[in-house]
Amino acid sequence: MDIGNSTTEACVAAIDPDGTVHYLGTDLTHTTGVKGTPDNTAGALTAVRGALHRAGRRAGEVTTVLLNEATPVISGLAMETITETIITESTMIGHNPTTPGGTGLGVGTTVSIDDLAEQEPGSPVVCVVPHGWDFDDTATAVDRAVGRGVDVVAAVLAGDDAVLVTNRLTVPIPVVDEVAAVEKVPLGMLAAVEVAAPGRTIRTLSNSYGLATVFGLDPDQTRHVSPVARALTGNRSAVVVRTPSGDVTDRRIPVGELVLRGAGKSLRVDVDAGADAIMETLARVQPLDDAHGEPGTHVGGMLAQVRDTMADTMADGAADLVEVSDIAIRDVLAVDTFVPAEVRGGLAGEVALENAVALAAMVRTSRSRMQLVADLVSDGLGTATAIGGIEGEMAVSGALTTPGVDRPVAVLDLGGGSTDAALLTREGECSAVHVAGAGELVTKLIDSELALGDREVAEAVKRYPLAKVESFFHIRHEDGTVQFFDEPLPPQVFARVVVLTSDGPVPVPTRHALDHVRRVRREAKRRVFVVNAVRALRQVAPGANLRALDFVVLLGGSALDFEIPDMIADALAGSGIVCGTGNVLGTEGPRNAVASGLVRAYAADSVAAVPDAPAPGLAG
Amino acid sequence: MTTPPTTSAQPRRTVTLTETGPATRGTRRDEVVIAVSPAFAGHFTRTIVDVPHAEVLRQLLAGIEEQGVAARIIRVRDTADLAAISHTGARLSGSGICVGILSRGTTMIHQKDLARLSNLELFPQSPLLDEPVFRRIGANAAQYAKGESPEPVPTRNDQMARPRWQAKAALLHLKEFECIEPGRGPVEVQPAFELSSTG
Amino acid sequence: MTETQPRRDPQPRHSLRTEILEARPMNLDGFVEEWPEKGLVAMESDFDPAPSVRVEDGRIVELDGRARADFDFMDTFIANHAIDVASAERCTSMPSAQIARMLIDPGASRDEVLAVTRGLTPAKILDVVKLMNVVEIMQGMQKMRARRTPANQGHSTSARDNPIQVAADAAEGALRGFAELETTLGVLRYAPLVAIALQVGAQVGRGGVLTQCALEEATELELGMRGITAYAETISIYGTESVFIDGDDTPWSKAFLASAYASRGIKMRFTSGTGSEVQMGNAEGKSMLYLEIRCILMAKGAGVQGLQNGSISCIGVPGAVPGGLRAVAAENLVASMVDLECASGNDQSFSHSAMRRTARAMPQLLPGTDFVCSGYSAVPNPDNMFAGSNFDTEDYDDWNTIQRDLQVDGGLRHVREDEILQARNKAARALQTLFAQLDLPAITDQEVEAATYANSSNDYPLRDVLTDLKGAQAVMDRGLTGLDLVRGLEAGGFHDVAENLLTVLRQRVSGDLLQTSAVLTADFTPLSAINDANDYAGPGTGYRLAGERWEQLKKLRHVTSATNPETEVR
Repeated sequence: MDIGNSTTEACVAAIDPDGTVHYLGTDLTHTTGVKGTPDNTAGALTAVRGALHRAGRRAGEVTTVLLNEATPVISGLAMETITETIITESTMIGHNPTTPGGTGLGVGTTVSIDDLAEQEPGSPVVCVVPHGWDFDDTATAVDRAVGRGVDVVAAVLAGDDAVLVTNRLTVPIPVVDEVAAVEKVPLGMLAAVEVAAPGRTIRTLSNSYGLATVFGLDPDQTRHVSPVARALTGNRSAVVVRTPSGDVTDRRIPVGELVLRGAGKSLRVDVDAGADAIMETLARVQPLDDAHGEPGTHVGGMLAQVRDTMADTMADGAADLVEVSDIAIRDVLAVDTFVPAEVRGGLAGEVALENAVALAAMVRTSRSRMQLVADLVSDGLGTATAIGGIEGEMAVSGALTTPGVDRPVAVLDLGGGSTDAALLTREGECSAVHVAGAGELVTKLIDSELALGDREVAEAVKRYPLAKVESFFHIRHEDGTVQFFDEPLPPQVFARVVVLTSDGPVPVPTRHALDHVRRVRREAKRRVFVVNAVRALRQVAPGANLRALDFVVLLGGSALDFEIPDMIADALAGSGIVCGTGNVLGTEGPRNAVASGLVRAYAADSVAAVPDAPAPGLAG
Repeated sequence: MTTPPTTSAQPRRTVTLTETGPATRGTRRDEVVIAVSPAFAGHFTRTIVDVPHAEVLRQLLAGIEEQGVAARIIRVRDTADLAAISHTGARLSGSGICVGILSRGTTMIHQKDLARLSNLELFPQSPLLDEPVFRRIGANAAQYAKGESPEPVPTRNDQMARPRWQAKAALLHLKEFECIEPGRGPVEVQPAFELSSTG
Repeated sequence: MTETQPRRDPQPRHSLRTEILEARPMNLDGFVEEWPEKGLVAMESDFDPAPSVRVEDGRIVELDGRARADFDFMDTFIANHAIDVASAERCTSMPSAQIARMLIDPGASRDEVLAVTRGLTPAKILDVVKLMNVVEIMQGMQKMRARRTPANQGHSTSARDNPIQVAADAAEGALRGFAELETTLGVLRYAPLVAIALQVGAQVGRGGVLTQCALEEATELELGMRGITAYAETISIYGTESVFIDGDDTPWSKAFLASAYASRGIKMRFTSGTGSEVQMGNAEGKSMLYLEIRCILMAKGAGVQGLQNGSISCIGVPGAVPGGLRAVAAENLVASMVDLECASGNDQSFSHSAMRRTARAMPQLLPGTDFVCSGYSAVPNPDNMFAGSNFDTEDYDDWNTIQRDLQVDGGLRHVREDEILQARNKAARALQTLFAQLDLPAITDQEVEAATYANSSNDYPLRDVLTDLKGAQAVMDRGLTGLDLVRGLEAGGFHDVAENLLTVLRQRVSGDLLQTSAVLTADFTPLSAINDANDYAGPGTGYRLAGERWEQLKKLRHVTSATNPETEVR
């Protein structure tokens, strides 16, 4: 049996005296507790019993249970925002209400609608309308002022009333609405309101020279307002108020330095330099011995948190504490990502996509308590147990039972916490590596980039293809094909972007269009799995040369994903590699490789002990 | 309940619904039908918590208009069952989307292809529906009509609504039943809002 | 043209007293005028039928003024299954006053009354109870209650469907005295885990407490058949054919469901209550009590041992009309006087006024019913997923004091905090161990600690809902049963809890819990109308709060010691 980070797999076989292996049954269940701890026993017993049940055998018939030597590799995740957008003095309203009113640009002095009746005609006015004003009343008040000769050129509203107000005005003006904190808009200041036609974006306020023209700025001042223009790019509507020291800043948050130690050196890299810089530095200290963050900085906190969590999960009872110093971070994967965050100082709940760095860290501890698990399994089943075989070697051996595979073969085990690679050369030598980052990091990236705030939904987006429910009787799949139904679809999926689970369509609670969700999903998978596949294979490939590999077999839960294997195969195709999802024993798909490998190794050993028996051939 | 706005004058509006003929199936894809119950803005003038029907309609219409969608109002006369009223409206709606509403305020968003007893969104707790909620219901109905995916309007719950409103709701339900005109089909109605003198 | 009147006319000046009265919570409750033509009337309506019955060839051919040809399916079911044909004409022709007098006369035994009531038509029963004032109704209940010993039922639910909370509150509730505990869900998919938690908590608090999980009917039945729950209650019935049909049901379909429970030895009762039909606009012009009496007889005809009634979730309707609570008391009496177990309501948020909440419960608490509340919220009301109860955990001390003041047994008792903490902690630990044994989502020590001292769901660490829901699904997929729970508890070292649960499960084989009003005592003796029959026969007879039980109820949180007034009684 193979106790992995997320699944525990078992395989029952009978071995003839000549070493011939008869596979009788397999089973898998989720791993109970942290891999390599006594908590695994429950799941292990479930899996063994399940496999026996399928094989139609009883526990009493089992001679021995073989357990993998679990690599004590566990992984943790952390994410930190590295940029922050701040608006000062309420100078800018850059949110994107779904339904602004009117079109065009209006420049004038901000005046509250409460004071509009007293406003003298003369200079142009931008009318500011607080909460509580009915749309009919607003339109009447503006029309009345215009009738008196007041030049109302634009309006800013608290409520979702822009179209309503514009539709009721004698002379339409650009109107921006849903400005929740409208009472903070400075009055008596020069302001510009711009609304583009549907499907268009604003042209003047998103252009530094446009702003300079509108507000009569000198070159120095223009330099000062360029962040405002940048922040408004891509919006359909915007408001900019000119105040004495108003500003929009896009500042980088110092998150601290990452200290990477390995290959006899210790290198430091600023985390806010981004993922590429981190990964480049990491490459220079391979193999990594440990990583630390500067104490007192965000990154220090990030790594300390990963380490503490590991220490907690590894500890089992107060008598058996694992020292934090005992835990070394042996690999790091940094990924650039973004987090939608509310802008500080914003008036309408403006959201900016702030840059962030996600770090997956892989921890190796010096402890594995697999022996304890083996003893407990032995108690539970009343049979002998043996721990044997290095996980990587066993996985390769199991993968070789995939039809069409031969040595040299590399396996990529795409798991939940780490991506593992192992290589078996033509000569039968085996090497293996583990790199940080796998399925859980993908889920986390999807969750934060789509601002779902729900791991369950993010997990579903990762696992299932998308579709848009266009009517009760048809959906459009993400590849554009249409599928019709005879029975109406359930009401909660109507008009929604859905994931197509085995239980039918499930709505994704997002306002993003299907294409955006799909892009985020694929990009997250690419940044984790494709990057890691290449990274891990380079580490096992002779001379770090991918072309030296012939067969690559994908294993593990994520090898069952509907697109990850294709994405990896595409990335490796250029190197002339045969890459595909494994089919262990010709029946198990990418599952059960390690357990099957353990059986093969055991059979080979038992025959080797008998001098004149023929050496078992390898399958494939 | 939200307090009425205090920053501006509070004109009280009334509404008259004038029948203009039998309700027909709409041809515009961009319309939402509002289907009102037999006694809505007729025998009754406000919801169970005294939201004027004039304001209910104005807010529903405003929510739809703000989304750039057209609206049509019909009155269903032969039933006071919300699902039946809403489904009748949905089948007459060019977009297939309808907001159905009972006099006491209970509201539902329906779609023509759904089973009658199903719905897109249901707001069963009439005592908790106020003007802003009606606005959002209108906006959501319009977004469904446009094929967008609005976030469902959050439904509220209040355990103490039972002692306060359960019996009145039953009474209003019975009264609405009294106003049913069996065998009479749905009619198109034209709203006329007026500012009443506020004394 | 509709007109919206200004809401605030220039107001006439009010007295300061009026302002104080207006501000009382009482005035947040709603009241309406009666409308008998539409059935918006408690129990006295000119539109209810007059009693009549005619038997031909051993068949009822006329019931309350309606010929068999005109029967709706309720009439048919009641005429065919609920009324004793042999005595129907004789009993129904007895003067109503005479039957009413029998109900309160200590000289007439319960059995003598039953011999008459089993031959009565719905309208006749209404005619009888209409003669009784609320004190007489209570007198009748005191004698007609099926089980001699009164009891109480509790709700243990969680606003977050947190199984640990449900287990801990169930343990505390069981310790405080609830004979039955009931749960339901916010997220239905959580049901298997929460039902297990309720069962474990209950058996930790006091062995023999019966549990149930209110769900849609199929899942509720499955959990019962698997032995994860011990009884069922939320099988709703209605007094008019049209409301029944709206729910895609008939009396026969409900009777079939009842027989499915009986086939596995599972206790079950139906649920009905005044006001449900008029609430749905289909009262067919009959009073609320008349329609409820039809429900009671339908339950009787279906052969179930008992009924939960007392308006239940429609309490706001009878509560708003004159004499409404008298009708509610009467419907409980009618259930008892046709020999059904009565779980008598008091189980929904009823009033903003504490005084009115208490008054509402008096007609059940004072005479005692099979379950005074069905149930009392054993969690704070915001956590009550049955939409709140008339009483909750904050009322525990008030309830205990009222029992002591009036020397009545409302089924609860004061328990010292150290015992409560111990039970809560043990329940959480037992569940933690069981989940680990069954490979269900883990419960942390931190959660166990929280459960020990918590009040509401807000006091617990958040669960990983996704993992929990997968675990809940696994319970169903893996076919776990009550025996698996027993095995897991035993393997985890909770031998006593395992033993308790196993003993409860064994009851299905004996079928003793199918007897009317059956509950299990702490030593697992079934206590029902068979071996604990109500023998009230006037002062000094029947159930009396005395002896050891009375000593228990004399204890309160703070009672000054007579021996040493500087200390309090423990």
